Amino acid sequence: MSWLRRVTARFPTVVLARRNLSRATARTTLAVVAIVIGVVAIGTIGAGGEAFKQDQMEAYEGFGGTATVSPVYHMNDDGDIVGGISDQDVSRMRQVTSGATVHPVIQRWDTVVRTSSGETSPSAQVKGLASLGTFYEAQSGSIPDSWRQQVVVGSRFADNNDVETGDQLTVTINGSFERTFRVAAVLEPQGFADQLQADRSVFLPFDRLSQLEDSDSEYGSVIVRVDPQTGSISEAAESLETEFNTRRRTISVSEVQEQRERFSQTFELINQFLIGVGSISLLVAAVTIANTMLMTAIEREREIGVMRAVGYPKRAVVSLLLAEATILGLVGAATGVPLALGIGMVLNQFLVGDPLAFTAAGLRYVGLGALFGVLTSLFAGVYPAWKSANKRPVEALE
Amino acid sequence: MTRDTSDSEGAEPTETDREDQPSDAASATTGVILRGEDVTKEYQTGTQTVRALKGIDFGIAPSDFVAIVGPSGSGKSTLLNLLGLLDVPTDGAVSLRGQDVSTFSDADRTRNRKRAIGFVFQSFYLIPTLTALENVEMPRMLDKTPVKTRERAKTLLQRVGLGDRLDHYPDELSGGQKQRVAIARSLINDPALLLADEPTGNLDRDTGDEILALFDELRAEEDVAIVTVTHDAYVAEEADRVVNLVDGVIEDTGETAADGGHGA
Ligand SMILES: Nc1ncnc2c1ncn2[C@@H]1O[C@H](COP(=O)(O)OP(=O)(O)O)[C@@H](O)[C@H]1O
Ligand SMILES: [Mg+2]
Repeated sequence: MSWLRRVTARFPTVVLARRNLSRATARTTLAVVAIVIGVVAIGTIGAGGEAFKQDQMEAYEGFGGTATVSPVYHMNDDGDIVGGISDQDVSRMRQVTSGATVHPVIQRWDTVVRTSSGETSPSAQVKGLASLGTFYEAQSGSIPDSWRQQVVVGSRFADNNDVETGDQLTVTINGSFERTFRVAAVLEPQGFADQLQADRSVFLPFDRLSQLEDSDSEYGSVIVRVDPQTGSISEAAESLETEFNTRRRTISVSEVQEQRERFSQTFELINQFLIGVGSISLLVAAVTIANTMLMTAIEREREIGVMRAVGYPKRAVVSLLLAEATILGLVGAATGVPLALGIGMVLNQFLVGDPLAFTAAGLRYVGLGALFGVLTSLFAGVYPAWKSANKRPVEALE
Repeated sequence: MTRDTSDSEGAEPTETDREDQPSDAASATTGVILRGEDVTKEYQTGTQTVRALKGIDFGIAPSDFVAIVGPSGSGKSTLLNLLGLLDVPTDGAVSLRGQDVSTFSDADRTRNRKRAIGFVFQSFYLIPTLTALENVEMPRMLDKTPVKTRERAKTLLQRVGLGDRLDHYPDELSGGQKQRVAIARSLINDPALLLADEPTGNLDRDTGDEILALFDELRAEEDVAIVTVTHDAYVAEEADRVVNLVDGVIEDTGETAADGGHGA
């Protein structure tokens, strides 16, 4: 106790400030709540946004050194739509991009997928992609290397239709082909940035789809991959552009790395905008603090007049009221930070699957929220403090 | 009322402010603390000018006890504010130990108030969040001498008879006790002059008498000069001099006021 007294005696302004705050508990609490809301808004939006971004970025993980090629369609002189990627096109791709592996993706729209309980899933996308395992990882089961009797399903498809590894799925294509498959694996969630929308997909064995009679050897897209150690995906992409797009643009090549950066930038922009919106709550908090401090200053006008009369300089009165405002900010920040971290942990669990998956950037936003909370309070206290200190003691004591 | 003179003398060496100002001790026993010559104070309200004081002369010497009486609006508080360096005259001169107050900046006046003047108010104006002891310490709380200040504050509270109420908050004290805390507070910096604006106005007669007795003690033991505005006849009776203010001028009220304008 005596050491505490000795320490606090060194900061009498803080002692006075703290005592003063304790007298209008309700008002003080409300002012603190305003700051807490601001700190939590900035911290949670920032940290949650970063968790969301991290979650979406995972979709790019299996796609390092890859580019996606999609067909560009044109209308010919007769008014027919022409274009698409054929088997020959895929062969040409393989030739011009030596060293790259070329994975055509079959996508069928004329399909019905039925679960063993008989329900159909209209939103399921049926696709075929060889070497699926090089792009995705399974959250349950395992992705077979070569397969004929099995399917691999995306996480959202599995959730929506209550499908687990080992269940049976019946796939009907074009009304003719019908077959029942066993689910070999459910993929990890990939997010919306995923190249193939894997979350909603049912991957059939590639050969099954390519051998269908009506298969007109057209591919929905092609994934080109280059081992970054031995080659460059940019060179491969350039070769493809030269080969296919010189006379007329027939394919569009998009490097996943570029997409990833674009996504990251776009996301950053959105997140900053949201944090900006969140900052408005701190502005409101500033108004609350300023109001609280003004009321305090008016209520204690005589008291402050007495302090001035007994020899407190203006500076001391300013320090006292600024200390009070800052304490409000500090308490608000100290309450807001754990709250923001708590909500952040829930978001992390929800989005990334690990409550502690905070990124440095996310934590920075929490810190930023706390800092802004304290600074906001300090600035909000400036005018009331200045006004109070400059009140002539004679007037205050009348 | 405890008369604990040994205690107060024991506190003297802890006093620091007097050491800053060696001239204080000398002038406190010999010269005039505060002198006013032809002091005029005007207030400007819109287009109107109110002349609250119309050329007043006064002088206050150590251990003087002056009562200022007069009807409401006669300029008593205005005069007290000028004496307390809370305001400056429009015309004429107020000097503190020979120094013209009008040459002081706001900071100078604040510093000199702290050094030389103690205030006691009708409504006490104690800080409700501070204990009796802390209220007494308040004027010196920002000084870096917390231990000395605490000793001094304890001594003062003991001498005003509140040695057993150190940790009480103002709302746990009676009116008379609050005023005694306020008086102890006004003495924490060892002022040469104690200014009181109706110090007994909110107290019953018995409590008022206690305050007066305390004033007497302080004058006798510490040479503190006391100037008090009062409406209470028994307070004025105790005073050495009565200054009767009427409409901004000092009225002659016979024997006591004959030398009222020219104290010391
Ligand atoms: N701040 C002020 N502004 C304008 N007029 C004032 C002010 N203070 C006092 N007065 C006027 O000066 C006169 C003296 O006031 P005051 O010293 O308060 O009288 P008292 O204390 O004797 O009642 C009054 O007429 C009052 O209206
Ligand atoms: Mg008055």
